[in-house]
Amino acid sequence: MANAYLFSIMATVAIFTLLALSLNIITGYAGQAMMGIAAFFGIGAYTAAILTTNGTPFLLALLAAMVVTGVFGALLGVISLRLQEDFLAITTIGINFVMAAVFNTLKITGGTLGLTTKKPEIFGVRMNNFHFFILTVIIVVIVCLLINKMRKSWFGMALASIENDPAAARSFGINVSKYQILAFIIGTALSGLAGGIYSHRMGFISATDFAFTVSIQVVSMCVIGGLGTIRGPIFGAILITSLPEILRFADNYRALVYSLLLVIMVRFMPGGLLGDDSPIWKLIVKGYRKFVPRKKTRADLIAEEAVSAGAAPGTQSVKQEGGLA
Amino acid sequence: MKKLLVTLLSVAMVLAMTACGSGSGSGDGGSSEDPIKIGFFAPVSAPAASADGTSALNSAKLAVELCNANGGINGRQVELVDFDDKLDTKEAANIAENLASDDSIAAVVSGSYSGPTKVAAPIFQDAGKLMVSAYAVHPDVVNAGDLIFSQSFPQKLQGAAAAYYATNELKAKKVAIISVDLDFGSAQVEGFKEELKKINSPIEIVYEQAIDISDNDMSSPVTAAAAAGADLIYSVNYYEQAAQVLREVGQKKLDIPVLGCEGADSFELLNIAGEYADGLYITTNMNRDDENEQTQEYIKNYVEKYDIQPDMVGASVYDAFQVVFAALEECGEDTAAMQKYIAGLENFNTVTGELIRYNDDGSAVKPVQIQLVTNGEYHYAGVIDDPEIIDPANY
Amino acid sequence: MFEQQFMNALAIGSVYALTAMGATLIYGIMGILDIANAGAYLVGAYLGWYIYHATGNIALAFIGSAIAVGALGVLLQKTIYSPILAKQNTLSIIPLVAAVGLFTMSSDVIRLICGPYSKSYNFKTSADSIQIGPIVLIPAWILIFALTALCLLVLWFLLNRTKLGLAWRSTANDSEIAKVCGVDTNKSMALSYILGYGFAAIAGIMVGILYNSITPALGEVPSYKMLAIIVLGGLGNPVGTVIAGLLIGFVEVFVSAYTNLPIPKDAIAFVVLIIMLLIKPEGLMGQKNKM
Repeated sequence: MANAYLFSIMATVAIFTLLALSLNIITGYAGQAMMGIAAFFGIGAYTAAILTTNGTPFLLALLAAMVVTGVFGALLGVISLRLQEDFLAITTIGINFVMAAVFNTLKITGGTLGLTTKKPEIFGVRMNNFHFFILTVIIVVIVCLLINKMRKSWFGMALASIENDPAAARSFGINVSKYQILAFIIGTALSGLAGGIYSHRMGFISATDFAFTVSIQVVSMCVIGGLGTIRGPIFGAILITSLPEILRFADNYRALVYSLLLVIMVRFMPGGLLGDDSPIWKLIVKGYRKFVPRKKTRADLIAEEAVSAGAAPGTQSVKQEGGLA
Repeated sequence: MKKLLVTLLSVAMVLAMTACGSGSGSGDGGSSEDPIKIGFFAPVSAPAASADGTSALNSAKLAVELCNANGGINGRQVELVDFDDKLDTKEAANIAENLASDDSIAAVVSGSYSGPTKVAAPIFQDAGKLMVSAYAVHPDVVNAGDLIFSQSFPQKLQGAAAAYYATNELKAKKVAIISVDLDFGSAQVEGFKEELKKINSPIEIVYEQAIDISDNDMSSPVTAAAAAGADLIYSVNYYEQAAQVLREVGQKKLDIPVLGCEGADSFELLNIAGEYADGLYITTNMNRDDENEQTQEYIKNYVEKYDIQPDMVGASVYDAFQVVFAALEECGEDTAAMQKYIAGLENFNTVTGELIRYNDDGSAVKPVQIQLVTNGEYHYAGVIDDPEIIDPANY
Repeated sequence: MFEQQFMNALAIGSVYALTAMGATLIYGIMGILDIANAGAYLVGAYLGWYIYHATGNIALAFIGSAIAVGALGVLLQKTIYSPILAKQNTLSIIPLVAAVGLFTMSSDVIRLICGPYSKSYNFKTSADSIQIGPIVLIPAWILIFALTALCLLVLWFLLNRTKLGLAWRSTANDSEIAKVCGVDTNKSMALSYILGYGFAAIAGIMVGILYNSITPALGEVPSYKMLAIIVLGGLGNPVGTVIAGLLIGFVEVFVSAYTNLPIPKDAIAFVVLIIMLLIKPEGLMGQKNKM
């Protein structure tokens, strides 16, 4: 039954995928250098753990974890308005250290002893790693669909404009503050959700689970995969989380190989392995197109008709996607 | 949707890679020619823990090697299946699932700290696999179930022993406590204070400070302890910080004795603190002057093989293996029988002295050794074997 | 005890200032948060240890290690950082991820080559601890004070009294304009890394002597603490960094001396930082106020 091992890795991978996606909303879409996501991951984890220990049903506790973390996220969002890039990065690092210290101290978080959680039951079944995996994947899929929708909405465009040039966005009458804070709320709430699942999947949490190194790991996931895309953080999370297990053959040189790969990846593809400018991604898209031609939109059909009707090639400019489709 | 498909494909790819990478064949129960496999994990590659992780792994390898050299267990060779957990609970969970689902693994020894061991324990319990934890100190490790045993003192017990010794032997009156801000430190401090109350000790605590594990600067707390008029510093730290406490006391000529704990039981402390180490008392589990043949044999073999002195971490791991070997020899690879055997052990001879018995929850009952550093070596200074103090059930 | 604690704080503060100086110089020119500077600190400490134990000469250990690690810094700058920064629209967290990778690598290389156990400098001076009134001075401190002062003096001289320093300062102010004016900004970058990594190496050896112990985990605390210090000092400002380093040293020592706050020292540095940033978001010493 090597499956248990695989499911264990998969559950962790799924949780960190959700976490990477949540960071991506703040850093990838809104362009805010957030280096302390583990603090919020931890707030969610402890909130859910405390609640279920006191008898709250698991799913309800997850919801509460999202809300509580989102409130803290809103606070950080307000703070972020005052700080530019690098100052925000270091402030969030600081928040991470302070929160880890708080987790290590408060009685309600178990202090230095941490918290032990019971495996929750859903529909009368005691959850195992496979269940956690499925639950998280369902959430990840929903989150991906929502992000996709969001990006095409007014909110997404506002975020993109903030990321490009906040001053210009402001001059267009976009309420930068509102959208930036909203990005923080959504991002941190999702990280809190990931935390709630994490604390129950692990069965035990302590302050070291939410140390700064964890934040760095999540940032690496987004950067390695490609910030500002959906596929990037997902791929990055899968790669970075499973790499230590894949590299077990390297034995004593595991950590060395891991960090070497990290440096090489960032050095040669700073935009991420699957970022928009990445040659790998372009190759994948090209190969994919070869087998599956793009579905013809109405615009394409009209253009083709026009071409076949002998119209001047110049009219093909209508072909641009999105215009009519 | 296309993107989603691509993403899912890449997920599948990486997972497939992982599956190949893991490739730990799950054998059947194992015929008599196959070696007996014992699972093991320790934090070998985490920079902050690699010293302890390496000591643990060294001892595990030594234990298995000596066992095989002596003909193995009932004629069968023993094989060590070791993993590096990087002091990461996520990795520990993966390792535990891997070992727990592998039918060819007869039993597991944890050579890691509290976090990884605490996460692994319920996984082994659920899978019906026996685990002996060598030196993890979290009090709930053994609470995972009847298949989990622990070689280390409950930390409150060690704190209580220190309180007893400070009161009755060191005759301290004013104690300053400098402790590491982890479960290891806080539990011992708690046990120390409770015991003071219990025995109506005249000791007054004049200063108290919990220090982050990564912090080496002891100048401020030691100066404050001296200013508070302490006549004993109780340093509940690992060797690195305990060594800095000693250096501060020595360099500033403060002339305050220091009482440490098993965390300071390492040749590393002697190297770092140098001449300032002399006069340090520690509570620990290994008595280096023990005439017990096994203890001297272990020290000799360890030094021979690795060219360094063994420490408390290594000794505890070695002990955990001796317990597992004994159980395997007596019961074969039958977990239920092994559990019964270990739970019923009495006066078992280990390198850390006599293991009196296991408590109901699975933690070892053994006397607390007091060692004193003289001329740069740990030597016997006393032993606390008052049944009232060393019974884990009292904490 | 106040006097003694004051000296304790001055000693640890000096170490912090020197440790963070490297990261500040690099930030001043490259605009990146180079966590790998803590790797230079670690490698420098080990290199110094080998030189000291081979030759028995501590001065040689300081100089040799600083030069070698400085050269390593330039190599990394040329092969890793500059190419990453050359790409368009690089977010500052991207070079940071590379820096984290390099730092992890340095810890692991040291662990694999030099072993997981600590090494002791066993540096002995003829002088014993000196008692002046209520204060005890440890010999290692005198070394630290003298070296910190010397390093800062050299730095001041380089930046303010040499052509190279002028180029450095103009690049730090605005690299585009400097380039247009004919300043070789590549040279300024290289200087940043030589000085930045060299200082880190010196700080590493100093800490190794102070605590008589170096381990593969030596760089972990400075890796983030120096970030707090350089931000507090106003990112890229050498004078601000010295003040911030001392400030953090003093706050840490006095908080743990007079209170029993249940927060670790590392968190104290960041609490100070966060409070300060909320009051004065551009850092303690502003941004354009260079040495």
